[in-house]
Amino acid sequence: MGGLQTDAELVSRALAGSDAAFSRLIERHQASVRGFLRRMLGGGWAEADDVAQDAFLAAWGSLRSLKEPAGVRAWLCGIAWRKAQDRIRSSRRGAARDNIWLETVETPAGISPEDRMSVTAAMAELPPDVRACVALCLADGWSHGEASMALGLPLGTVKSHVARGRARLLKALGGPDDA
Amino acid sequence: MTPEQKLSALFAAEAPPARDYAFQARMAQAIALRRAWMTVGALVPWAVAAVAVLWALIPVVGPMSDSLGAALQPAAAMLAGAAVTAIAALWLSRRFRGGLRTPFSAR
Repeated sequence: MGGLQTDAELVSRALAGSDAAFSRLIERHQASVRGFLRRMLGGGWAEADDVAQDAFLAAWGSLRSLKEPAGVRAWLCGIAWRKAQDRIRSSRRGAARDNIWLETVETPAGISPEDRMSVTAAMAELPPDVRACVALCLADGWSHGEASMALGLPLGTVKSHVARGRARLLKALGGPDDA
Repeated sequence: MTPEQKLSALFAAEAPPARDYAFQARMAQAIALRRAWMTVGALVPWAVAAVAVLWALIPVVGPMSDSLGAALQPAAAMLAGAAVTAIAALWLSRRFRGGLRTPFSAR
């Protein structure tokens, strides 16, 4: 089994019934999808991983609807985005529970727990679509075009969401108001 | 640290590992379970069809069952005898092979 197969090759093998090929796609894209969901949903990472599992299962069931096999990462994150929206709508997650979880997470060197709390609170206050743009473009380094494709938002909207979200988060960390 | 650097560090801290075998194993299990349920779902119409066919055949097969049972009795007895012989032969061959094997302590 070649480890250097392209996404398109893996998709065509998965479509032919190969679970190994789909596992390889999961291996390749789980970090992107789970990272996106962790930043989108906040709170405990277990919830983000549950949503990621639902998203991958939905992707496995609807692989035939993937029009552009090379863009499988954006397609997977698009499914994850819709699952996250469903989760946000259906659950009212307690801020107290999220704060307890935050206290158990290790803070990176050079950053105070207060900074972490401020960023988490600022992120939670952002509207979901702004948060999604920030999670993909600012945190994971996606291009605006790819994020636009994954989230189904116009390119201009993605750009303005990223700029607005970035300014809010930097302000929470003591940056200038018009950052 | 500038606010930009702090933000980058906080985002990096949330990133999952590039490889996570536990997550992949959970996904493989979930997919296998989903596939098993899909297989069961696909077999249900065939099972229903088979039951319907058998139910429809009851009036035809019912009267024949007595005579058919008598005819099949010798064949069933022969098959049972052959099965007992085969099982006994298998058991005996394993037993003899075990007895002839040199124990590890004697090597």
